[in-house]
Amino acid sequence: MMGVFSELDSTVEAIEELKQRKMGDLTVFSPTPRHELEHAVHPPMSGVRKFTLIGALSGVCFGFWIAIWGSNYWPLVVGGKAISTWLPYVVFGFEVMVMVGALSTVFGMFYLAGIPRLTMTVGYDPRFSRGSYGIFCECAPEQLVEAESILRRHGAVEVRGEK
Amino acid sequence: MATLAHPDDLRRPNIASADIQLPAVTSYEQVDNEILAVLKPTKAWFASLMLAIACLGLGAFSWIYQIHQGLGVAGYNPPVMWGVYIITFVFWVGIGHAGTLISAILYLFRAGFRTTIYRAAEAMTVFAVMTAGLFPIIHIGRPWKFFWLIPYPNWRLIWPNFKSPLVWDVFAITTYLTISTTFLFVGLIPDIAVLRDRETNPIRRKILGFLSFGWRNTEREWRHFARAYLFLAAFSTPLVLSVHSVVSFDFAMGIVPGWHTTIFPPYFVAGAIFSGFAMVWTIIIPMRRWFGLRHYVTLNHLDASAKMVLFTSLVVGLAYMIEFFIAWYGGVKYEQDYFWNRVFGQWWWAAWIMLTCNMILPLSLFSQKLRRNPTWLWILSIFINIGMWFERFVIVVPSLSHDVEPWQWSSYMPTWVDYGLLIGSFGWFFMWFLLFVKQLPVMALAEIKEIIPPKMKHTHSHGGH
Amino acid sequence: MTVDTSVSETGSSAGVKRRDFLKVLGVSGAATAAVGCSSGDVEKLIPYLVSPDQTVPGVSNYYATTCRECAAGCGLIVEVRDGRAIKAEGNPEHPVNRGALCARGQSSLQGLYNPDRYRQPMKREGDALVATTWDDALQILSAKLGEVKSRGQGSRVAFVNQHEQGSFPAFLDGVLAGFGIAPHLSYDAEAPVAVLQANQAAYGAAWPAIDFSAASLIVSFGADFLDGWGLPVPQQLAFAEARGKVEGAPRFIYVGARRSLTGLNADQWIPAKPGSELAIVNAIAGKGSAAAAAEAAGVGVALIDGLVAEVRKARASALLAGGFGQDAGELATAVAELNKARGNVGKTIKPADGYLAFEGVAGHVEMRALAERMNAGEVPMLLVRHANPAYTTAPGVGFAAAMAKVPFKVSFSSVPDETTSLCDLILPDHHGLESWGDAEPVKGRLSLQQPTMDPVFDSRQTADVLLAVAKADPSLASKYGFADYRGYIASRIGGNQNLKNALPTALVSGAAASRTAPARTASRATAKEQSGEYTLLTYLSPTLGDGRGANKPWLQELPDPVTKILWQTVVEMHPETAKRIGVADGELVTVTTAAGSLTAPALVYIGLRPDTLAVALGRGHTAAGRYAEAGENAWQLLDAAEDRAGGAALGATKATLVKADGKKQRIVTTEGSGRQHGRGIAQAIALPALLAGEEGHGHHVFEGQASTEFLPGLRSPTANDAQGEFGVPNSKDKGQYDPEHWSGAAKRRWAMTIDLAKCTGCSACVTACYAENNIPTVGASWQGPVLLPDRTGFGANVTRGREMAWIRLERYWEIDREPKDVVFDPEHPDFDTNFIPMMCQHCGNAPCEPVCPVYATYHAPNGLNVQVYNRCVGTRYCSNNCPYKVRYYNWFGYGDPTRSQYAFPEPLHWQLNPDVTVRQKGIMEKCTFCVQRIKEAEHRVSLEGREMQPDEFTTACAQACPSRAIVFGDAADENWSVAKWAKDRRAYHVFEELNTYTAVVYLKKVNHPAPTASATA
Repeated sequence: MMGVFSELDSTVEAIEELKQRKMGDLTVFSPTPRHELEHAVHPPMSGVRKFTLIGALSGVCFGFWIAIWGSNYWPLVVGGKAISTWLPYVVFGFEVMVMVGALSTVFGMFYLAGIPRLTMTVGYDPRFSRGSYGIFCECAPEQLVEAESILRRHGAVEVRGEK
Repeated sequence: MATLAHPDDLRRPNIASADIQLPAVTSYEQVDNEILAVLKPTKAWFASLMLAIACLGLGAFSWIYQIHQGLGVAGYNPPVMWGVYIITFVFWVGIGHAGTLISAILYLFRAGFRTTIYRAAEAMTVFAVMTAGLFPIIHIGRPWKFFWLIPYPNWRLIWPNFKSPLVWDVFAITTYLTISTTFLFVGLIPDIAVLRDRETNPIRRKILGFLSFGWRNTEREWRHFARAYLFLAAFSTPLVLSVHSVVSFDFAMGIVPGWHTTIFPPYFVAGAIFSGFAMVWTIIIPMRRWFGLRHYVTLNHLDASAKMVLFTSLVVGLAYMIEFFIAWYGGVKYEQDYFWNRVFGQWWWAAWIMLTCNMILPLSLFSQKLRRNPTWLWILSIFINIGMWFERFVIVVPSLSHDVEPWQWSSYMPTWVDYGLLIGSFGWFFMWFLLFVKQLPVMALAEIKEIIPPKMKHTHSHGGH
Repeated sequence: MTVDTSVSETGSSAGVKRRDFLKVLGVSGAATAAVGCSSGDVEKLIPYLVSPDQTVPGVSNYYATTCRECAAGCGLIVEVRDGRAIKAEGNPEHPVNRGALCARGQSSLQGLYNPDRYRQPMKREGDALVATTWDDALQILSAKLGEVKSRGQGSRVAFVNQHEQGSFPAFLDGVLAGFGIAPHLSYDAEAPVAVLQANQAAYGAAWPAIDFSAASLIVSFGADFLDGWGLPVPQQLAFAEARGKVEGAPRFIYVGARRSLTGLNADQWIPAKPGSELAIVNAIAGKGSAAAAAEAAGVGVALIDGLVAEVRKARASALLAGGFGQDAGELATAVAELNKARGNVGKTIKPADGYLAFEGVAGHVEMRALAERMNAGEVPMLLVRHANPAYTTAPGVGFAAAMAKVPFKVSFSSVPDETTSLCDLILPDHHGLESWGDAEPVKGRLSLQQPTMDPVFDSRQTADVLLAVAKADPSLASKYGFADYRGYIASRIGGNQNLKNALPTALVSGAAASRTAPARTASRATAKEQSGEYTLLTYLSPTLGDGRGANKPWLQELPDPVTKILWQTVVEMHPETAKRIGVADGELVTVTTAAGSLTAPALVYIGLRPDTLAVALGRGHTAAGRYAEAGENAWQLLDAAEDRAGGAALGATKATLVKADGKKQRIVTTEGSGRQHGRGIAQAIALPALLAGEEGHGHHVFEGQASTEFLPGLRSPTANDAQGEFGVPNSKDKGQYDPEHWSGAAKRRWAMTIDLAKCTGCSACVTACYAENNIPTVGASWQGPVLLPDRTGFGANVTRGREMAWIRLERYWEIDREPKDVVFDPEHPDFDTNFIPMMCQHCGNAPCEPVCPVYATYHAPNGLNVQVYNRCVGTRYCSNNCPYKVRYYNWFGYGDPTRSQYAFPEPLHWQLNPDVTVRQKGIMEKCTFCVQRIKEAEHRVSLEGREMQPDEFTTACAQACPSRAIVFGDAADENWSVAKWAKDRRAYHVFEELNTYTAVVYLKKVNHPAPTASATA
């Protein structure tokens, strides 16, 4: 069951009621992130940070390793400097950390947000990217009527069933 | 408290940049309509694109000629072994700093005035770094061997010299290009989704759908998106500072008088932000006028960024002064001779162009009247761009021409090839930017929607939280 | 021996290739039949007189011969690789040059391989010279000579030969006599004939040896014994040796209006007006008052008094008369008398072991007389060989115009020049390195000349041509029993066997055939009444001589040791003069004399009197090849005045000077700033200070210097990096940097010392480096950008500082202001000058190394700072970071034959050293300490299974240095002399405060102030 709203607060109220009535799980659409919705849904913490941490650590290790091993592989003295000069190699540690860390963060986001996806699947409406909010409520057939009434009561501009 | 943003309201009390709002923008739909309207190509746009491509052509010709003939066709005059190319490289890298600074650092600082300018600034960053990245290759004697600087696996396991600042550059620039591109693109995903949903042409719709990764605006997507964006910002912030520091090492690690200075990293970073903002102005101010976006990039936005420019200008000016002071105070003869020659000798004209454009003119920004005068800001931005190019000139050329060995003191005069490649770089940069503004939203739709009041049923709960 | 006969009548042998000819000569020369048996292909590669089993491809052979670049007759050892001469070096056994060789001598190779050489005989058809065959050419010559003979015009035929010593002049006269032709004129525009004559009269020897070491005082009255006066190499050897003694070294005073290279090496300069030297000499001799002399000379009387006192006080002095004035003869006589009076003869002036270089040389006056005869139509036929009177004579002589009046003109020159281009028949001679011959540089010693390789082109040795012509004449054939000139030479020293035995050193005792020079008929011309506020000094270029070196790019690109000008002619004037007429460096000025005028850029030179101008001779050729066109021809300014002996008076011309409509040319110079700005690059110390122990240099201790132990020898972290784990004694895997490594590479520290007390700045080392290391010359007008060149003309690249000289001679004025602001003070005109050769210092802590992103330059265990050409990508960061600025970059494809910038047009590239890469465009290069020689020596000792001997080999620059100032070797081994020199009390490193730990150690120059005056260091 899908409801399209044009106001934020009515969407929030609808969500709250649907949740307390245990009407199956909800997917909320909004053109822009709003705290109100987040509070209403109060989802678990995003797991992106794990990816970030792992990426960053492996990055810094690789950065230092390539520089030090590469220097030692052909030990050539230049300018009377040490063969492996740790201090300047911080540059490599840092830069590679940022590179790998950031990329794995993005990967993490894609992975957790379930994108990229090729089809729009059910329950999407172009309006959601424009100005309207939406609630997609997957509920058992017998709850359909009730869900629809809730959505309507809270002033959904359109309510339709989707298979 | 919000402020009106109409051009003809002058003297306002200073506004904390975080409070800057867009009172003239009322609904999400308005945002879409007005900003996506920019995408419609115009004659003027085609004309400027042609111009950019023409400049690029000149650059391409110069480069091909130079590769065939050898670097002798450029103006190098040993011991001035670095010239326009390295100067322009540093110049563009510097430009490339504003974007990430605005989108990342100001994001962390919750500086509201970034919202409407950061997309353009980020795009500018990516294209500037793309431009900068070409110049080390243009500059070397055997460009076809450039990949030797990259630690790629090869069967004899010959690696680059990790002690060389130039190899640090390779890493810094590559990372910076990758990250700023990623940053730009991640930010674009929801907006591309908007385009996709507005698009009628099925083919374009498919393409946009592909580029948007099938973004659905679900609360779950937004949640991870916001998180990832935060971490990217957290990464980019030190990256911005590191990249130009590393670039400054190219000079600071040398023992050339005028280069061998510990002040270079902060000095370069400040200069980079300074020049970056100038370039943002050069681009944004005409844009807000021609594309009718003045109620998005309001005078308050310009005012806030002007303060930023003024600050960095003061930092840069201080750096100049400290250089002179240390040269005198350090008592190293080579340094003293060099700085005298830089400011009062052979290179006085370049040095004074630099000082005037970067130190003296920006002082005008102490006046709020001028801070809120787009025309002046634009003129000033041109001066700053010139001044910052000459700052790099003053660092590179006079130092080399006046090194410790008097017998080898020399001069330097670029040739048409140098100028051709300089012009070409602008052509390359603006070609990409012009293509960008007509393909993708120049302002972040989703984020603008975030800061304008959403439509409510019960008006009392306005701005509910 | 069918070939033999055909060769013996060379004239008629058509298809005989030169190498067959030589082969047969080899056979007749009993060089065993091996040559004959060798296959054609190998033969191509095999130089003369070496049987294939002696020649290993890729291994050099060395041939001793005699240098013909100037009259001196130095001994050469020519390195020949695979049949091609690749390097000319001094012959250590030779009495004249003792292993040293000047820049001009080394450039003989570029004469040999000169791209503009005549490739076959030429004859005139209409206005053009067209190629022809030797048969044809020889028939024409025989016919003409026969004609002359039959008409009895022989006595009026003139043969002008470039003056050379040895038997050839006599041989030539003999052949000429056969045709009833008068003895030839042996012409040398560089010979100081007035001095020769005076010496002959006074000492009984035209050119006595000068023993500077025996002298306590040297006074030169314009005698530029280091550049152009007499025999540069032996004189420089003696001078440097004397000055190198430091204690007891002679003090040197130079009297002359212009400080030449010789003048710059003097401790004191007395800028006497041109022509006033005689007055000063008289003052010393007591024949005149010092005041009068000072008046005439236009200097403070104190200077003259001081000079007089010093000469009178001197234990043993060497007084030398040069001067190119009209009174050169009188001056030389007066000086000779003074030497006698001071008892210097036999002590410092040694007639007994004098040089015979100039025996029978003809002067300028003969050329003028000849020109007059030609003008009068009295000369039916003119033959010229190598001499170029049409260029090297004053316009007043009108030699070129006079030649037009001669019905038939023959040239034997092998390279084009102004005279040859006017001739009707050209029979190109072999180059000296392809010819047989001999010279008697000192009495009783013959220096032989032998071919070092197959002729480059289809040329023939003039002697053989003459022989063929003579033999073609039945009445003369009987006189010549020998097959060719080689036979003649052999016969002079007692047969082939003797010749073969002598050739390894090319030295044998004996005397050259003597000849009586034709009695001088003409009388001298004195200067016309002249006007002009300046006296113009036209001087022989230290690099190009009278102009004969002008088509050799090495010499054109070699900066003049004094002015540092290359590829260009400038008008030198004192800063005051420049101010007076309101010009700065590079602004065009016009010098006008009675003879002609010349417009060239002005150059301020502080070593010149304000009332005097100077222009170097030798440039601005019109028909001497592609490189010779650079610059202006100063001979055009010469008035046809002569000295007593009939030599051209080069310094007696009055001139006017005007600014030429404000146009400007870039000065083509390698000089950046001519002052040291107190940076202690070229250091000098006054002898008293040195003796007082004030030099106290030693090794300073610096903040933050490397804490770890250094290798023995030079203070340098060569084998263990200064800070890293290699420094830790117990660290493993130091690889080759470990002194214990089996390669032993880290045991050595290749290093160099340069004694600035000996270095005169002659720049022979620079040319040696060009020759050894395939360094491209970049100054030709076509070596710049192809499209929209922003700077054109000769030296355009040099004005952008792109010259490639791995070693350069820096010349620093010790003055307290910019040269342009110097004022002339007649009381105290003096200033010090310091020369310093600057090349890669092979730093222990090289700043260039860590900045290279690809390890294209790194530190080798043996102390070398290595440059890996094919790894270099050309970021040029290394050059930026080099404090000494000794790295050079290939801006264009100088080594690519398909490009206009190609530096070695065929056959110049035959000279390239096969051991050294020709660098491609876009990469950095620099001094390698002649790493190829190091490797060669290392391979040699390992092949011979022995240890390397101390001083077993040396670098090209050290080998050539006529001052013996450069010493190269292993500083880590006490037995090498470099290790000893590096510990000298005068030793210092340049920019030591930068902690670069250079491997090049300089020894301070030592100044010898006037006994009374205080130290002037």
